Amino acid sequence: MTEVKVLLARLFTDEMRIGESTMRKQLWKSTTSALFAFALFAGLILISPIARAQQGQDKSAPLSQVQRLNRAPVNKEILRVQLPRPDVQTLPNGLTLVLQEDHKLPTIAFTMWIRPGQLADPADLPGLASFTAEMLREGTERRTSAQIAQEVDQLGATLDASSRFGASFTSVNASGLISSRAQILDLMSDVVLHPAFPASELEKYKQRQEASLEERLANPNFLGQRAFRRVIYGDTPMAIASPTKESIEKLSAEDLKRFHQQHFIPGNTILGVTGDFKSAEIGALVEKYFGAWKGAAEAPLSFPTSIDPQPTKITLVDRPGSVQTYIVGGDRGVRRVDPDYYKLVVMNQVLGGGPQARLFLDLREEHSLTYGSYSRFNADIYPGDWQAFAPVRTPVTGDAMERFVYEFKRINDEPVRPSELDEAHRSIIAGFALSLEQPVQLLSDWLTVQYYGLPMDYWDKYPDRISEIDAAGVQAAAKKFVDLNHMQWVAVGDRKQIQDLLAKYGSVVAVDVTGKAEN
Amino acid sequence: MFLKRRRMATFVAGLGLCLGLSAALHASPADNDLKVPKLEFRDVKLDNGLRVILVPEHSAPVYAIDVCYNVGSRNERPGRTGFAHLFEHMMFQGSENIGKGEHFSLVLNNGGGMNGTTNEDRTTYFEELPKNQLDLGLYLEADRMRALNITQANLDNQRNAVQEERRQGIDNQPYGRASLDLDNLSYDNFAYKHSTIGSMTDLNAATIQDVKDFFRIYYAPNNAVLTLVGDFNPDEALEKVKKYFGTIPSQPEPPKVLLDEEPHYGERRETIYDPLARLPEIDMAYHIPAGNTPDNYAVQQLAIVLGQGESSRFYQHLVKEKQLASDVSVQPDARIGVSQLYFSANPRPGVKVENLEKGMDEEIAAAVKDGVTPEELAKAKTQLLRQFIERRRSDLFTAILIGNYAVYFNDPNLINTVLNKENAVTLEQVNAATKKFLERDQRAVVITLPAAEDASKAPKAGQ
Repeated sequence: MTEVKVLLARLFTDEMRIGESTMRKQLWKSTTSALFAFALFAGLILISPIARAQQGQDKSAPLSQVQRLNRAPVNKEILRVQLPRPDVQTLPNGLTLVLQEDHKLPTIAFTMWIRPGQLADPADLPGLASFTAEMLREGTERRTSAQIAQEVDQLGATLDASSRFGASFTSVNASGLISSRAQILDLMSDVVLHPAFPASELEKYKQRQEASLEERLANPNFLGQRAFRRVIYGDTPMAIASPTKESIEKLSAEDLKRFHQQHFIPGNTILGVTGDFKSAEIGALVEKYFGAWKGAAEAPLSFPTSIDPQPTKITLVDRPGSVQTYIVGGDRGVRRVDPDYYKLVVMNQVLGGGPQARLFLDLREEHSLTYGSYSRFNADIYPGDWQAFAPVRTPVTGDAMERFVYEFKRINDEPVRPSELDEAHRSIIAGFALSLEQPVQLLSDWLTVQYYGLPMDYWDKYPDRISEIDAAGVQAAAKKFVDLNHMQWVAVGDRKQIQDLLAKYGSVVAVDVTGKAEN
Repeated sequence: MFLKRRRMATFVAGLGLCLGLSAALHASPADNDLKVPKLEFRDVKLDNGLRVILVPEHSAPVYAIDVCYNVGSRNERPGRTGFAHLFEHMMFQGSENIGKGEHFSLVLNNGGGMNGTTNEDRTTYFEELPKNQLDLGLYLEADRMRALNITQANLDNQRNAVQEERRQGIDNQPYGRASLDLDNLSYDNFAYKHSTIGSMTDLNAATIQDVKDFFRIYYAPNNAVLTLVGDFNPDEALEKVKKYFGTIPSQPEPPKVLLDEEPHYGERRETIYDPLARLPEIDMAYHIPAGNTPDNYAVQQLAIVLGQGESSRFYQHLVKEKQLASDVSVQPDARIGVSQLYFSANPRPGVKVENLEKGMDEEIAAAVKDGVTPEELAKAKTQLLRQFIERRRSDLFTAILIGNYAVYFNDPNLINTVLNKENAVTLEQVNAATKKFLERDQRAVVITLPAAEDASKAPKAGQ
């Protein structure tokens, strides 16, 4: 069956934009996890609360391009909802628990965040955190890789671990029927606490990684995002977007063991659980499986609180034969706790947060250059990035650049109109209601609060923080983050056809798909 | 969005399997204490033929609306491929009381989500909104069913958007062509033979008259199912549905499409040289019976055993033990007509594509010869139980599925009974179906090789 949609379903996550093939693998690995990709299948375009907070989706439209008849019956009142508060506790060994009861269905889900993730990759071994996470399932002191796979599938459960490139933590996720909660915890604690990193499995894993890297080099999004991170973050761990051939080759079981020993400790970890249970009962069960884990929190890695903007330039990733150019334009963004965070949320919403936002209406609906254009940002313990992007057909690469520049100027130069601003506020705030039926996402909202040290009433106050951002705030964010003098452009496409079209917008540096400079 | 077959298959698993699912809750012995309440719903037909399914579900203050039209690319004629989907885009370009671009804006700026999607069998439109916007969703869907705004400018613009979608999803992706070519090779009946995304030439040929005719014939209330799931009072909701949809006139029955498919006489095979691919890929398809039939349910379970989950045979044998593949997938679909079981794999670097194909053939032959084991089948059934439960997670997912069940199989109650049907599948049935349908003569195979391996045969991109 093939599905075609009016809008591209987008996951505003790094897995999707950087590791598409990784994402795909994780999905097919488990039949059940494919279900969780349903939003993706359905291509539901929405503003999810955390996504809205973290990645921003969606917002208003260039009024000139939307024809507003205002005849549809709209309830002017925003349905405000309060997110149910979880029970938060810390076990004696330092493990933080976030427990959220949800009794709709007889299931349970676990989400574990372990600092510091991929940002702790050594310079000569990019991908180590990701290797470590992905090797957790490949054998423990008690179980072989095949046994783990067998047990997980027999329970109709999911269990996976990953360390997203660009994120400051490793995640381990598990889910299943509530009746299997003890077995799932047994499996999860086994892989997190006692991985064996067996040599035979490591060799096979390295082969698969090599193939996966090779496959990703064919993917324009991967190439674009990798180049973009390199441009923004230079030669730092923040720039790493994938392993390298060399790091895959060099990786040893000792590297994995060392990384695991050093960082996989309860003091570095938050475990969230949501499902059909009583908090007291599940807390005790978690303690049974994770209580003996030892290790005080490590000092957090230190990162700059801000990154200096650089003069505008264009990085052209040469992909001969490409029928589209994947264009990214952006800059460094903010940390999750930065005071400018809310301004960036609202500004992003207006500019490119969805199919009702300016970029989509301009590049797709008005000028027919692309199937979709959006903007998004990430905020973590280091200043994340902000970016706008669109895949456009090769001959109109220059036209698309012109439209981006036009919209970037417009949001800088003109205060956003009151109605457009109001819609941006509404879309973000009203979106919370839908999140109430997505317990895993809700749980992740609360992990965010814990992880970044935000107050427990954070989500209660969030709508007001958003409503407070006025036109001046939006403009201030635009001036800071959508600055044409410091815009970093990446274009993935056929160099022969697009280099001259791009040259008008800045000096062009061409690289090949492996990142090597071309003459 | 047009995804490469393999990836799509993954994403669609939920739906595909649902359509191919069935059964009751006593599935897994360990799970007797699991309770998934039966979904109570009302199933009403308005005077104009619109089928309305109302499912109250009060766990969150939201609701979902899905309008599923009984039309897909199977209804297209030669020379107008891609039309059903192009039309889907037109449905977002405004109607009598909704301006161009206003649909996106009204839904998203009120905290909702939306999309539309087309496949071979049906076209479906959906929104999910906070419960205090019930009128909005109904109004939006009714207005475009009643009076779509069809203009040349909108057609030209959306034609471009669709062509960009094709470039993004197929022409600019490695293996993009393989999924199209595989169905083209495997099916003889035009209905499923041609792609849903359509050819660039045909898209260019679509006229405004085509759009008008298509709307009149297929977008009539008597050719649609409206499903509402969520936090509302069903009596009040039905009144609103009548108010907004009740006066839309019905139309004559659309022409029927025959979906018959003759058996193949021998394996069909094709090689593509893909300039964007860096590794080869093998894609295979076997015909299997239509969705919601005992044989299709049996093949769904076979597919889990063979290729879904890390404990599956393909993953354990081909990826892990023999290290022939870097990536494998086994995905059945469940169409209104003759369906397909798809296999896809990439050799790991250094492995000859022939050797991988041989490895796949050995796995398939072993399944045909020895069947699956009772343990493997029990595992598959537990996974289906889990899926059955997760399908009820969101109102939107539930609404889309019910709409599909109604349009595909005239049975919205499959949302409750599909697990029973799945549980009824026996080991003997699975093994008999494996023997019957995994016949080499009945399959189509597309091999993709990186064009660098034979530059002279590289196709022009985008053709």
